[in-house]
Amino acid sequence: MSLQPFFLWMQEHAFSAYILNETWFSPIVQVMHLIALAVFAGAILVVDLRLLGVGLTRVPLAKVSEDAMPWMVWGLVALLVTGWPSVMSTAMKQYYSPFFWWKMELLVLGLIFAFTVRRRMARMDEAKLGPVWPKAAGMFSIAVWTGVAVGARLIGLLS
Amino acid sequence: MRSWFEWVGAMESSIALRESLNAYPIMLTSHVIGMCMFAGLIMMMDLRLAGVGNLNSAITDVQRRLFPWQMWGFAISIVTGLLLLFSDPMRFYTNFYFWTKNLLLVLAGLNMWYFHQTTYQTVDQWDRDPSPPFGAKVAGVLSIAFWSSVIVVGRMIAYQDLVPQWWRELVPRG
Repeated sequence: MSLQPFFLWMQEHAFSAYILNETWFSPIVQVMHLIALAVFAGAILVVDLRLLGVGLTRVPLAKVSEDAMPWMVWGLVALLVTGWPSVMSTAMKQYYSPFFWWKMELLVLGLIFAFTVRRRMARMDEAKLGPVWPKAAGMFSIAVWTGVAVGARLIGLLS
Repeated sequence: MRSWFEWVGAMESSIALRESLNAYPIMLTSHVIGMCMFAGLIMMMDLRLAGVGNLNSAITDVQRRLFPWQMWGFAISIVTGLLLLFSDPMRFYTNFYFWTKNLLLVLAGLNMWYFHQTTYQTVDQWDRDPSPPFGAKVAGVLSIAFWSSVIVVGRMIAYQDLVPQWWRELVPRG
């Protein structure tokens, strides 16, 4: 099933016309998207660094993860809310951009990983995890989220 | 000042960087990655200072242990930022948001410096307090505000037409 009709619907929606017509709408949601990104990235990275065995190592992994969780979730919510208008108003550009799909696929992968494997790992007894798996999980998480950011930036530059 | 920017822009290496198809996307994307690392971890520290996040960690732990990673993020941001500036100095010279960003970077730096000279001196007495002293909270909130503003005007550099009228008259784009 092609998603093209859905993207066409978004592009032709009255909200998209409103966004494109209001000079300040797009820049304002874009800067809010970036502030939300900083909060989200910080909350992700502080746990990933801890998984790698650096950063906040004086506190148990479970505590670092528990502290970061609300900022990660609210950062994500803010990212989705502020990202949505950009996708809507430029829906056809997004649809035909390989980087948009790159970003979305990695985003889904990153979220599934964060809320399953990584979350469970952060709650487990660190002694049982051993030295290798947390590091692998931290590296994987950093790699996926970096990929999301790279894809995101390239939508605007190369498509 | 203007002639200095023009001189850099006329350098062969600056022209080469400006005319390269790949340089700009690579520099800008790396700048965003550096920003995520730096601003992200700065905010995690500020949330602790403000007494609203990362409360299981001591303040000195958050400060010292995230510091090297903040510095890596800062280094990436600074190097890619200077390269971006070097590649097209006149675009930035005439840009309202570029100069606003520089001003906000100085203010963010002064806030950090002042906090370290004053409230932070007694950190041993409140290192583990979930609610740090008023001075620390102010420094944390101000830091979040300043760095967020740096991000805001950094993104706004792309919107060089959405600037005050007096700026256009002051610095004509030529």
